[in-house]
Amino acid sequence: MANKEMSVAELREKHMAAAETVNSLRERLRQKRLILLDTDVAGYARAQGRSAVTFGPTDLVCCRTLQGHTGKVYSLDWTPERNRIVSASQDGRLIIWNALTSQKTHAIKLPCAWVMTCAFSPNGHSVASGGLDSVCSIFNLNSPADKDGNLPVSRMLSGHKGYVSCCQYVPEEDTHLITSSGDQTCVLWDITTGLRASVFGGEFQSGHTADVLSVSISGMNSRMFVSGSCDTTARLWDTRVASRAVHTFHGHEGDVNAVKFFPDGNRFGTGSNDGTCRLFDIRTGHQLQVYQQQHGENEASQVTSIAFSISGRLLFAGYSNGDCYVWDTLLARVVLNLGSVQNSHENRVSCLGLSADGSALCTGSWDTNLKIWAFGGHRTVI
Amino acid sequence: MLSVAFHTMGLLCSRHQHHDEAEIEENTQAAEIERRIEQESKAEKHIQKLLLLGAGESGKSTLFKQARLRPIKLLFQTGFDEAELRSYISVIHANVYQTIKILHDGSKELAQNEADSSKYVLSLENKDIGEKLSDIGGRLDYPRLTKELAQEIETLWNDAAIQETYSRGNELQIPDSAHYFMENLQRLSDMNYVPTKEDVLYARVRTTGVVEIQFSPVGENKKSGEVYRLFDVGGQRNERRKWIHLFEGVSAVIFCAAISEYDQMLFEDENKNRMLETRELFEWVLKQPCFEKTSFMLFLNKFDIFEEKVLKVPLNVCEWFKDYQPVSSGKQEIEHAYEFVKKKFEEVYFQCTAPTRVDRVFKIYRTTALDQKVVKKTFKLVDETLRRRNLFEAGLL
Repeated sequence: MANKEMSVAELREKHMAAAETVNSLRERLRQKRLILLDTDVAGYARAQGRSAVTFGPTDLVCCRTLQGHTGKVYSLDWTPERNRIVSASQDGRLIIWNALTSQKTHAIKLPCAWVMTCAFSPNGHSVASGGLDSVCSIFNLNSPADKDGNLPVSRMLSGHKGYVSCCQYVPEEDTHLITSSGDQTCVLWDITTGLRASVFGGEFQSGHTADVLSVSISGMNSRMFVSGSCDTTARLWDTRVASRAVHTFHGHEGDVNAVKFFPDGNRFGTGSNDGTCRLFDIRTGHQLQVYQQQHGENEASQVTSIAFSISGRLLFAGYSNGDCYVWDTLLARVVLNLGSVQNSHENRVSCLGLSADGSALCTGSWDTNLKIWAFGGHRTVI
Repeated sequence: MLSVAFHTMGLLCSRHQHHDEAEIEENTQAAEIERRIEQESKAEKHIQKLLLLGAGESGKSTLFKQARLRPIKLLFQTGFDEAELRSYISVIHANVYQTIKILHDGSKELAQNEADSSKYVLSLENKDIGEKLSDIGGRLDYPRLTKELAQEIETLWNDAAIQETYSRGNELQIPDSAHYFMENLQRLSDMNYVPTKEDVLYARVRTTGVVEIQFSPVGENKKSGEVYRLFDVGGQRNERRKWIHLFEGVSAVIFCAAISEYDQMLFEDENKNRMLETRELFEWVLKQPCFEKTSFMLFLNKFDIFEEKVLKVPLNVCEWFKDYQPVSSGKQEIEHAYEFVKKKFEEVYFQCTAPTRVDRVFKIYRTTALDQKVVKKTFKLVDETLRRRNLFEAGLL
């Protein structure tokens, strides 16, 4: 029972002592884990005699360049079918593209220009966007445009106390989506009422301790999602239990900008300011692999976005210096750099995503363009 | 497979010769969209975007409100109408409760920790009122400010202990508006209270998103033609580095520094001096790659409070100003102190500006955000500076 008369100085001391204890316990845990970890994925694969997937510049070619934004592209998302892409840009617009013809089907001028994320609803009828306005706005693509040709906002999800960094609809549910925010929380929204169904983290709960930058919902179990944050951790959440994360994954040494579930739902990948991508296992809590390119004189680049190929064998990662590596997930080797082929982006790759059938990758860049890369010739999709 | 579709359609975006109706429809729609984007972009070229930055209490939001209150006819904003003024009632009442709570709790803390604690101890008859008001101030929802409550707040405010606490305002997070609201309690608690423009200026809201206004500085006789859109991102209390690059390409960054804060600590961290925090932020913003070519307007704000303070509290209580030597007294001394502070900021600017960027515009303005005339004049100067720069860049100067 807290002593009401305890002075501020005494409380501060107690707080510091408690923090010390937590830190030393955490360090002991880390040491214990290191002892248990006898190898990583690549080490094991090599020991099994596996070799890197053969992948060359003709296996993944840029077949479309989507031009039209007048500002940096910050985010993109594919429809689950019908192959359209929504992109969000610093020019304050969302543009919806037909990926096959590269024609624009919609252009939405946002009420707040400072957008950071966008997402397509599972049925492809709506798009969501969010940014510095701390609100997630929903647009119904079938509603009539106003006299300026603009789509009206059909729902505003407000409640966050900081920017909305990422949003994703719950798979197969057009009525729910999850947002991550600079206010250190993630929120599960009921779009029909506009209310928050659950808040993950925040003032009285144990969640992230800094801005949350991205979320990824498991494709195998939509009650599980991971979030990545400036506090250098990724956290696994069960939507039924908002009060604390299921597990916290340490390892990164910088902001975790991107998180993405592995196709089988048992692992997830992360990308960070520390220049590495990592693979974590949700059942054991272990870090399975680090994907790090050795750099020469150039300063290390930051990972901005990641995606897995349909089987998970390939990990696509976009970097702040314009590189876009294709990693062999199993052997932790870069098999292709889309940033150095012909026709590559000329600036930071800020976002990327794989089409629903896994046969095309879309990248978005600060050079204001989006590019679609397709598996070439008789190359099978993996 | 999508990829197959891409390849059968050719690797380059091609125009099909088929007279497929659906396709024509799609092409027309796309062309229409592109036309609209082009039109909108052209229109936007005439809008100068200004980013307002500054540490927590730098007064930039007040500056922001000022831009709306200016009596000259504005393009899209015409100052506050009665409905908008009324919308501030709950904020103002909230500020009153928050202020008296900070004062009450502050007096308790000082009574506990100070050597001469007796002067911070509330008089016996006010103890209950104090606890009650402190409790109210800590809630999420505040009750309406009734005459009774206003009377109790006034009683507490007049208690010697509270006045002593108020004089230590720089150590506790007592807002600058405290005195103003406490002196106007009767009016604020009136049944039919409608906030005045001045009340609104003093009101403090914690905004969470981006606030933007559009205005056009108009000369006395003619329109200047330029339209400005001012963005206040003050509400984001998080990692600026994650969103600052959204503002690459703005016409200017207006950085607000409250020079009266040299003896005050942060709201978020009691051990950090506000002036040092401001300097850190200023340095950080200057070094951002996205602002390499952006003009910087430094507003040295809250000069009125600085004027009063600098003769009583020496500048060198702030580590950044520790080499300050006063030379005279009165008005001369105030000017001398101000020039010293200004010089310090200039030093930081040049330290943080790479030789290649030295030609970006940098101007310093002295402001008192609460004084409409000063702000009006300042915005006119900003307007002139930016127009000269645009003409220069267009090769016309």
